[in-house]
Amino acid sequence: MKDKKIVWLSAFRNVVPADYENWLEDSSLQGWNIDKIDQWSSILMTFKRGNPKKYRYVYDVQAMPKKDYKTTYEEFGWEFVGQMASVFIWRKEYKQERPESFSDKESLEKRSKRDIAAASVSFMMFLLAAIIITVVFIVNFRYLKPGDILQFILGMVLTYGIFIYMAYVMNKINKNRQR
Amino acid sequence: MNIEKIRKRFIPMSETMFYILLSLQEERHGYGIMLYVKKLTKDRIVLGAGTIYQSLSKLEGDGLIIHVDEIDRKKNYVITDIGRQILSEEANRIKEIYSIVEGLL
Repeated sequence: MKDKKIVWLSAFRNVVPADYENWLEDSSLQGWNIDKIDQWSSILMTFKRGNPKKYRYVYDVQAMPKKDYKTTYEEFGWEFVGQMASVFIWRKEYKQERPESFSDKESLEKRSKRDIAAASVSFMMFLLAAIIITVVFIVNFRYLKPGDILQFILGMVLTYGIFIYMAYVMNKINKNRQR
Repeated sequence: MNIEKIRKRFIPMSETMFYILLSLQEERHGYGIMLYVKKLTKDRIVLGAGTIYQSLSKLEGDGLIIHVDEIDRKKNYVITDIGRQILSEEANRIKEIYSIVEGLL
């Protein structure tokens, strides 16, 4: 039986924060645990087989956390699992009642809004890149060789593709902002 | 920020915000606020860490509370004069609702 499992693109499979939390929780229940989350975990995440644990995971977004951010969570008994860019992952073991970090609708929605704001940075960057590539392509079109044209088209497909994908992600988070 | 803008941002206030502001009539930090509100509402409201952290940030950003000291990265907060004014205006609004619903009960 394998004792390691690698999951690719976890952050892209579960774009809604609550889905990401539930996915981690389900993995722990099946005995697939993570020791640490880091910058690369959104791309590649390694799980180790162990004892099933009942964890409540929390996905929080803080672009500029203040000094008392971590202490506040820790005092409430949350364990810091790690950070991917501005996303902080916390967990707490529980038996019956599932602990919540966002205890009312307003703060839950705000968490989603911060997540959308974080996604909008990539959205704007890829939009800008797509526009620049398109403009350079049009302006220089008559000087380009077929190979160059192909490269430009690939670049445009990629940047517009990611731009459209980010728009889809933001819309999906927004639709699910209350959970 | 002027008081009109603050009024618009905070009144009416969510129950969470109201209890946090109310609890800061005395110096408290995040976890202490949760315990106080839990006791006050007889276990009905149990504030979460994320909710408290972001509410305190908002209240501090708009000058309704300030942090007074910091021990072991734990910040103690207390209500300001503006905070007290907003709290009493909100209390008056709740009082009005209370007097209206009294007939229903």
